[in-house]
Amino acid sequence: MSTRVTLAVVSFVVLIVHGIVFYDQFFNRWEKHQTAYFEQARSLAKTDAEKHALDERGPRIEQIIVTQFGESRVDRCATCHIASDDPRFQGHADPLRTHPYSAALGDVERNGHWERRHKFTDFGCTICHDGQGRGLETFYAHGEDAFWPDPMLGYVTQANWHAEFKAKLTGKEYMQANCAQCHTEDNFAGAPLVQRGRQLFFEKACYGCHRIEGLSNGTLGPDLSEVGKKFKVNYLWEHTVNPRSFQPTSFMPKFDLTDDEIKALTVFLKSRRGINFAETSLGQYRARLQHTKAEETSKTQSSTPSAVRGEQLISERSCTACHKLGDRDGHIAPDLSYEGLIRDEDWMMAHFREPKSRIPDSIMPVFGFAEADFHSISSYLKTRSTPASFKTGEEIYKNLCARCHGEKGDGKGVTYLYLDPAPRDLAKVAFMNSKPEDRFSQALKTGVSGTSMPPWERVLTEEQRRAVLTFVFQTFVKEPRPELKAHRVPEQNPVAFSGDSVHRGEQIFLQRCTGCHGRKADGKGPNSLDISPRPRNLRNSFFVNSVPDKRFFDSILYGVQGTAMPSWIDYGLTQNDVGDLINFVRSMNPQKVSPPSEKAPTLTSQVKQEVLCQGCK
Amino acid sequence: MKTPVKPALEESGDAMTRRRVLSWLSGFGLFGSLIITALSNLIFIKPRATYGQPNRFSIGKPEDFPPGARVSLDTRRVCIVRDGDKVAAISTTCTHLGCIISVSETGFSCPCHGSRYDQDGNVTGGPAPRALPWFQVSLAPNGEIEVDKDTEIEAGNYLRV
Repeated sequence: MSTRVTLAVVSFVVLIVHGIVFYDQFFNRWEKHQTAYFEQARSLAKTDAEKHALDERGPRIEQIIVTQFGESRVDRCATCHIASDDPRFQGHADPLRTHPYSAALGDVERNGHWERRHKFTDFGCTICHDGQGRGLETFYAHGEDAFWPDPMLGYVTQANWHAEFKAKLTGKEYMQANCAQCHTEDNFAGAPLVQRGRQLFFEKACYGCHRIEGLSNGTLGPDLSEVGKKFKVNYLWEHTVNPRSFQPTSFMPKFDLTDDEIKALTVFLKSRRGINFAETSLGQYRARLQHTKAEETSKTQSSTPSAVRGEQLISERSCTACHKLGDRDGHIAPDLSYEGLIRDEDWMMAHFREPKSRIPDSIMPVFGFAEADFHSISSYLKTRSTPASFKTGEEIYKNLCARCHGEKGDGKGVTYLYLDPAPRDLAKVAFMNSKPEDRFSQALKTGVSGTSMPPWERVLTEEQRRAVLTFVFQTFVKEPRPELKAHRVPEQNPVAFSGDSVHRGEQIFLQRCTGCHGRKADGKGPNSLDISPRPRNLRNSFFVNSVPDKRFFDSILYGVQGTAMPSWIDYGLTQNDVGDLINFVRSMNPQKVSPPSEKAPTLTSQVKQEVLCQGCK
Repeated sequence: MKTPVKPALEESGDAMTRRRVLSWLSGFGLFGSLIITALSNLIFIKPRATYGQPNRFSIGKPEDFPPGARVSLDTRRVCIVRDGDKVAAISTTCTHLGCIISVSETGFSCPCHGSRYDQDGNVTGGPAPRALPWFQVSLAPNGEIEVDKDTEIEAGNYLRV
């Protein structure tokens, strides 16, 4: 009995479900929009023929197939927005609304009739608005899906944008990125933000690290030629604001940018899609060819180097986007105001050609300028040779030291993130009071080789240097210096340099040191991330060669107070073991470092094989 | 759902009648869903959109076609004919084997097998079996001429502009 009732009920449920599915699948919202449009159009129609024609039209998918601009696109937007090209529907509610006419877009008004510059039948819709042209439902067509790369611009999907910049970037502004897909000319008035962004790309020295096809050739950072295709606008925005927000290990500096500048840069980057709709592949090839030719000629056309030209170049090439020079300061890289007293021309030229050849862990990119330009810049920098006139230690510290070592002396000045090795923490009493005073005065005088600490010898008089050292000890260290216990360390390495010694040193190094100093001895061992200050890069030849054996013995046997370097005498290393270690470290750092090509360490073949092969093992 | 079942139960009380009512109801439900399924399959088979260029397209303002013009749009495969203030669209696909035919002095001629048509598209020679079809032409609200290749009209029907 009850089975029959159940069967009847179930069959009815099945019928209803089928009915719902049928309705859902075959009665679309766009059909309703179209029917509504036909009705309204009929009431607006003036002639019978017009009415008759409307009667014959039923709802159907309206699509534009755009073949002239890049890959062909199928835009079905007019299926719902059927009145977009019907001037009688101006001011109606969406979706039955005329697309606004705008003189800025090139539309022309003639005898009261507007004529579009960008006809929908030729250009389609998504070329300007983005979104998913094939979608027939709002959700799909407008790309409201959080994962859709290019949601429809402006009004709808802006709601999904990150709250932080929702108010700062409107869809209309963002749309300029799409104008620039065809209007690639440098001075196109219709896309001022792209213009400004392109300018900023050079003003903020982005070109030094990043490559953009046809614009720049930086190699240090990622290629941005297609960045607009790969990343959504919120990523671009936030990464520009703070490069570490998405990638904690990024060493891209955080530049001084206003909101307007970030907006322009974001829109500019969004416009880099690696394709140009208006050009054929042949045209692109031709443009690339012309660009490389122009570059070659500009490289060969070298003006005679002069200091005047150098000063000009420094502003043109935006050196002060990072460096400090006089009043201009990028808050990222060292102060160049006294460069003429600090470095000589050879050093500057070698550093220009390859910054890592002088400061091995520098993040400064290799700028591919002409040799004559480098000569100009260095001859200008040589003119920066007025010694500092500051009197008191405090004044000197504030003006010359605080930029790296920090106002509080804690080694966290504005530039500290970008300097490797990081500036010394002068407030760390354990370190400061465990080293002899002449070490500090020596570091001030001659600088620390292979790091960004410059020699102040010619900038500051001995008196001034003493004043600033006294200031540091009084203000940051505060505690009185205790009597230093003399450590029993040899002046010279008693172990003779030999292949055997190096080999023994290597074995000890691999057992004891790699946890912090790394298997490549570059100071990037697995523990190094948690250690402050970071372990030394022992392949920084300039630094290693400037350290006498005595200091090596002292640091290894008795440790470095205030750092993570322990006293290895407590762990059973003998003086001879340390001697072997020193020989090993020295073997990786040849005494004379000249051209970068000969930078590879001269090891005995056996050690070389082991050191180099360990990297892959 | 249950409501139509219950009164039937109460009213009759007769087992045979109730059983019949129930079986009618189940049958109606099942056959109904079957029909809907069949119908949706039929609708589904017919494509809603194809990936060719759309068959209804606008070709520009009437001013673009001066009186007396016979302009062949090869990509669209229509010839726009303007005679005074009358406009018409004639197919330029040969009715013989589908070549694109060109406008000649006497009307149209096909380069493939030499079919010839007069000004109105009637066959005057060659292997062509039928006259060229005329398509409906209308004036869109934005003032442009719209050709609808889905709708064929009788030869000699012009749109007045």
